[in-house]
Amino acid sequence: MPDSPTRRTLRLGVCGPVGTGKSSLIAMLCRELADRLSLGVITNDIYTDEDARFLRSAGVLDPARIRAVETGACPHTAIRDDITANLMAVEDLEADFAPLDLVLVESGGDNLTATFSPALVDTQIFLIDVAGGGDVARKGGPGITRADLLVVNKTDLGPYVGVDPAQMVSDAGSVRDGRPVIALSAHDPASIAELVAWVIGRLAAHRDGSLHPADPGPMAPHSHGPSHEGHGDHDHDHALAADHVH
Amino acid sequence: MSAPSAGLVAHLLADARLPVAGHTQSATLEPALVAGLPADRIPDYVRLRLRTVTRVEAATAVVALSHQRSGRDLRPVVEAWQARTPSAAMRATARTQGKALLRLVARLWPESAAVHAVAALSAPPRPIVLAAAADAGGLSPVALAGLVGYDDVQTVISAALKLTPMDPVVAAQWVHHALPEVDTLAVAVATLTRPGGIPASGAPQIEAWAEAHAVTPRRLFSA
Ligand SMILES: Nc1nc2c(ncn2[C@@H]2O[C@H](COP(=O)(O)OP(=O)(O)O)[C@@H](O)[C@H]2O)c(=O)[nH]1
Ligand SMILES: [Mg+2]
Repeated sequence: MPDSPTRRTLRLGVCGPVGTGKSSLIAMLCRELADRLSLGVITNDIYTDEDARFLRSAGVLDPARIRAVETGACPHTAIRDDITANLMAVEDLEADFAPLDLVLVESGGDNLTATFSPALVDTQIFLIDVAGGGDVARKGGPGITRADLLVVNKTDLGPYVGVDPAQMVSDAGSVRDGRPVIALSAHDPASIAELVAWVIGRLAAHRDGSLHPADPGPMAPHSHGPSHEGHGDHDHDHALAADHVH
Repeated sequence: MSAPSAGLVAHLLADARLPVAGHTQSATLEPALVAGLPADRIPDYVRLRLRTVTRVEAATAVVALSHQRSGRDLRPVVEAWQARTPSAAMRATARTQGKALLRLVARLWPESAAVHAVAALSAPPRPIVLAAAADAGGLSPVALAGLVGYDDVQTVISAALKLTPMDPVVAAQWVHHALPEVDTLAVAVATLTRPGGIPASGAPQIEAWAEAHAVTPRRLFSA
């Protein structure tokens, strides 16, 4: 198996509905991290290379380190049930630019239910944005409730769309059982620093062996009452994730 | 544990649910439709492939199986396939598919000498890897050739359902109608044993579509 517990590279998935800011977040991370980490990017798009071209043109990373994967109109399949094309692309990138520290995998913006298989990525970020409406966070879904990090993006737009970002973050927090939420805006340097610190923390956890890839969905975990709030029942979730890795 | 029957292994290898990134393939149908192929001519497109490019793939697989079973070097088979597959885009796709399939067959048949032999090649294309799976699973040459043809038909038709949606029972009917042609192909190539016998039956129009597709910026499927 090419995969071993000693693999150096952290594979980080970025998913969430179209337009929530996945490509922008990846460009942001490249901009912030490229001088201290060796990076690579894989995009999955509805039309194969739109996102890859956007990221290449952003000039934040050597264009050769940004590769697009065809999804055959099945972006959900490509990151979840048949991850073969993505896994091969990630492995090729890691081999071609060894040693890589971090590979960012952008999902094709499918819908609220699509999340990454833990066999493809070690950890994942789910994005929603304030422009999508305040209800989205409260309604939940596997990515919102159980992705390793939830980003509520574009907080700068709150006043224009009549949404209170702080309320949205608090709603999200209440369905996430203590898992982290970051309120992000490209115009808010403090929030960017918070995101970067989270990624660096995940990389450290990956290196010291304490990061265990977990599946956010699609099954809802049973009996997580409000009494668990603030105390993530992580063992339970890992057991559930293991059940779903066939 | 006893070995499964060759018939069931053939079912397994033909199953679109296998994790070999089959959902990324349209067998060049996507650029064909972009170029103006009418949806109701898709059955003709399937037939054209079975008589041309797919015939090369099926014959290559059968000859590779013969080489595997008689302990002959596989490289001349790969070279014969290359020479008969002039489109670089189609060769690249076949090698990518071969890599995906090899991930799977190495897991299914870790002890197989045939699988080890293809794993030792540099970037073996799909028909060569499929031949190793056929050897490990006990498939006959005609079953292997039929599998190549059947998979090609299903790849075109299932991509058609994404690209030009129709009642899916119509699509299944198209597949059913193409089956005798698959049988004809399988029987015609099943007795081949030498690389020189692989037909040079390319289809310049399909190859040109594949080449154009490889560089088009907006595509859903691989070239
Ligand atoms: N106002 C604002 N717009 C943003 C922010 N992040 C991304 N966007 C914009 O949101 C739109 C969609 O972003 P994109 O990264 O392409 O989303 P994707 O479809 O999820 O990859 C683009 O016009 C971005 O410029 C942000 O923090 N604030
Ligand atoms: Mg994007």
